[in-house]
Amino acid sequence: MSDVSVMTTASGCHIFSGCGYPAPSIEDFYFKPIFTVGGIAITKPVVLAVLAGAIILIFFYVAFRKPKIVPRGTQNLGELGVLFVRDQILRQQLGRKGDGYLPFIVAIFFFVWIMNVFSLIPLIQFPATSKIAFPAGLALVVWVTYITIGIKVKGPIGYFKRMAVPEGAPWWILPLLSPVELFSNILVRPFTLSIRLFANMLSGHLLLLVFGLASWYLFSLSIGLLFSVTSFLLTIILTGLEVLITALQAFIFATLTAFYIADAMETSH
Amino acid sequence: MNGGGGRPGDRDPSQPRGPSEGWTILSYMIGGMALYGFVGWLAARWTGWTVLFPIGMLFGLASAIALIIFRVTRS
Repeated sequence: MSDVSVMTTASGCHIFSGCGYPAPSIEDFYFKPIFTVGGIAITKPVVLAVLAGAIILIFFYVAFRKPKIVPRGTQNLGELGVLFVRDQILRQQLGRKGDGYLPFIVAIFFFVWIMNVFSLIPLIQFPATSKIAFPAGLALVVWVTYITIGIKVKGPIGYFKRMAVPEGAPWWILPLLSPVELFSNILVRPFTLSIRLFANMLSGHLLLLVFGLASWYLFSLSIGLLFSVTSFLLTIILTGLEVLITALQAFIFATLTAFYIADAMETSH
Repeated sequence: MNGGGGRPGDRDPSQPRGPSEGWTILSYMIGGMALYGFVGWLAARWTGWTVLFPIGMLFGLASAIALIIFRVTRS
């Protein structure tokens, strides 16, 4: 829990008791280091990211340790997850020729999803992806991957040409449009990929904080009780919305990763 | 576009690519505005004629829309 919410709940700060609404702010996204390793401060989001990685590793290890023809238990669940990513994300963009990238896309999808879901788990209640470093790092991995694939498939010059020359545009307009195409393919893509995930998770967490804190702050035997109940209901509804958003953002991130790889592999339209 | 089209699980080429096509359009819009906006801003600083900055942004937006039209109406 963030410092502000601890402060509020600890101080018993309520409406009409002389203290103002302790509005959540960007400060709630900065944590004190838990411990330091060789000059690197380890904070809660770092721990959460490592935890997400560990959960995925252990889950898929347990699921596919002794695979059986007729899957049972954990294997069943693991296959469900992998098949979902394959059929709904990977093959939608890449078709069958992209099956080699399945482990990559599965890893991306589940890593992002678990980090998002931390937003809703009691006592954790913080999405690691709401720190820009994690989406940006993931976007960098995706960026390096699709550019490497593009250069491998088409060669450096062929790939550069593919990135710079828009399809279907007449030649005389190319000097004007090529910079936009190149800029959007090389720079805007990784930027929007990370910002979209980061901003969605940050705003979602902030919304939950606003209404969660409000339902405590407004709680008193006065007219405030009515607003408190309303805030509490909104917190529940927004939590439901967040459940959707955590999955949706992971889905979009993985879909776009698959799309960028497909775009880099395509030889012609 | 994709190897063995028509097999189960494959994308139907006649269908749009879903959300990724939309995000491509968004990235053209941002890219066009940011790039020509920056060029316009540089030109505005150089000449002192500040109106060049919004003109650059509008021009970038126009070229992004042109790109999208070429992309959609190709083939």
